[in-house]
Amino acid sequence: MAELTLDHITKTFDDGGDEIVAVDDVSIDIADGEFLVLVGPSGCGKSTTLRTIAGLESITDGEIRLGGDVINDKRPQDRNTAMVFQSYALYPHMTVRGNMAFGLEESTQLSDDEIDDRVTEAAEMMGIADLLDRKPGELSGGQQQRVALGRAIVRNPEAFLMDEPLANLDAKLRAQMRTELQRIQEDLGVTTIYVTHDQTEAMTMGDRIAILDDGELQQVGTPLECYHEPANLFVAGFIGEPSMNTFEARVDGATLVTDDFEYDLSQRHRDAIGAREDVVFGIRPEDVEVGADTADGHTYAVTVDVVEPKGDENYVHMTFDDDHETPDTFTATIGGLRQVDAGDSVVVRFPPEAIHVFDAGSGEAVLNRSLDTAEGVDLVL
Amino acid sequence: MRSRILRVLRPGEQADAESEQQVRTDGGTSADRPQRGAADSDARADGGVTATADQPSRARRWLDSEFVKSLPFWLPATLLVGLFVYGAIGWNFVISLTDWTGLRQPTYDSFDFEMYEVFFRNVGKGGLLSGPHTQEYWALRNTFVLLVVFTVAALVVGLLLAILVDRDIRYENTFRTIYLLPMSLSFVVTAIFWAWMYNPDTGMINETLRLVGLGSLTQQWISDPQFKLFAVMFALVWQFSGYAMVVYLAGLRAIPTDQYEAAKVDGASLVKMYWRVIIPQLRASTTSAAVVLMVFALKAFDFLFVLFGTRPGPSADILAMMMYRESFGITNWAYGSAIAMVLFVLALGVIAPYLYVQFKRGEL
Repeated sequence: MAELTLDHITKTFDDGGDEIVAVDDVSIDIADGEFLVLVGPSGCGKSTTLRTIAGLESITDGEIRLGGDVINDKRPQDRNTAMVFQSYALYPHMTVRGNMAFGLEESTQLSDDEIDDRVTEAAEMMGIADLLDRKPGELSGGQQQRVALGRAIVRNPEAFLMDEPLANLDAKLRAQMRTELQRIQEDLGVTTIYVTHDQTEAMTMGDRIAILDDGELQQVGTPLECYHEPANLFVAGFIGEPSMNTFEARVDGATLVTDDFEYDLSQRHRDAIGAREDVVFGIRPEDVEVGADTADGHTYAVTVDVVEPKGDENYVHMTFDDDHETPDTFTATIGGLRQVDAGDSVVVRFPPEAIHVFDAGSGEAVLNRSLDTAEGVDLVL
Repeated sequence: MRSRILRVLRPGEQADAESEQQVRTDGGTSADRPQRGAADSDARADGGVTATADQPSRARRWLDSEFVKSLPFWLPATLLVGLFVYGAIGWNFVISLTDWTGLRQPTYDSFDFEMYEVFFRNVGKGGLLSGPHTQEYWALRNTFVLLVVFTVAALVVGLLLAILVDRDIRYENTFRTIYLLPMSLSFVVTAIFWAWMYNPDTGMINETLRLVGLGSLTQQWISDPQFKLFAVMFALVWQFSGYAMVVYLAGLRAIPTDQYEAAKVDGASLVKMYWRVIIPQLRASTTSAAVVLMVFALKAFDFLFVLFGTRPGPSADILAMMMYRESFGITNWAYGSAIAMVLFVLALGVIAPYLYVQFKRGEL
């Protein structure tokens, strides 16, 4: 168990003379026992980052420290990390017991009895004690997944590295394993880096999440920080399902002018925006008030385009220009019992305390929703 | 026509359709499961009546059956193989039971296992451990040595080459071709080639040894009984390890990269990783390569014949060579046939376990 530091690490691949930057100057401090989720779209460098920590890829520049020791040049064998692969990578010719014991046999001097005890203990923890003498081929996907986790746990490493370990499970099982994995990690208190492309996993599992795009670190923070105070347009669009609605806008004195509507800015908004002229206006779907009765500079009449019922809530896609064949839409989420149909005209309100404003050029957030006025948001918990 | 096509496509349904018809005449409803089952067994009880009733359509159906329709595809090949392979083996066995020698026609009046008795008595003559040994002993022993040592050596060399070639090296395809090339050459060509290599005065090997100052190590490679068989096996390994390499390479390619990475992260050294994780997963490759190599070892006749003629001497004699000598050299036809049968049983002994395992795994 140890803290893990990624200090300005860069990884470039040479592709026939072209240099491809997979990881670009990423720095993250991961505290001892912390559960950090690395999240981002495909090809953003999150798996490469994980593999550099495991030692399966060398780094071009920077430093990786595990428990204070620089491990850049150590071979993967000598790093004392345990990795869980998306494909599980169980050894097909060994029994579950053999799979779990392999790491201990190779990396420690423990006696056979001690190894056996630890394997049994870890197997009981994962609920696979009765599968110990079977081969991986005879197990279901969920059981294989447990064996893969058990194989990592039994090593008692300084850090767990997990590369989309739940991606091959079906939705129900995945939700179940998500909670179980969190509980186990908390019990063991082992520093964990968890790579996923699934923002739900990132939001629900991580102590903190680190969002990567195109090899560059976009933001590191608690899930709620990343959700409510995104550092830039990319994070705002990536975290949250459905995504944040964004509109390109121009600042005209005390008003934001978009192609579809004009929005009155308060003093707080204007202070944050400063002298910028081109910005992006953003609002989360659940912050859009549908059927507002107060009419101020923030209410608009729109037409419902498509309704996606989810049971507990409805995703309502709405548009300002309903005479278009394929209109530009934005999304609002409303309670599952509220009745809205496609074609209805409704009034929506974008509450001034809930809006986000981003710089149109850099994508940096210049204004995030204010948390003190929002109901039910308590970051401390 | 359409129904005929359907029947050909789904022959398994014919029986079903038949019994269902019976069910309907019985008055049973096909929707009612248990009742249908009962009616079904009724139908089978008086099934004989049905068969005689529609005799012509039976013949028609027989002509339409998959068996008859598939005949043109497998029958010619089966007949040819049956006659020229299995028929010849059978006839050879019959001859081995006679006393046929010389240039006259064989007489098939008395059959016994005398030739086999002679063979195995001669193998044991003079004691298995002490000497002096007969040519039967030497031929059998050398055949076994060749079978085992050559196969194991070719597998090990092939595996090492495959692992090296698999490690993302430059010009991988070129190396693969170079290693595989010798196998595409005929035994005759490689034998002549190695005869030149082994030539004690002008051969490449002794010349090289002298060149680097190791002249004391030069040997009469293919005339010294001490080195003869070794020299032959070395040349055969050179020729066939490329084959083992290609088989292993295919096996290695089928192992996901994750396996290597998982083993590394688990703390295994390079050697341990291959020994404990990768090589055990190559069992299927090993088996199939070993079977092919063993069969080649049994057929090494051409190679020896080109190197030594029909008298390689006891240290390099093999069963195939002795069989040739007995039959075509001194016209002991029956004895030659018996030796050929021993060789055949050896080959079967190699192939049969492999086929059995394949069969048990359902891969045959």
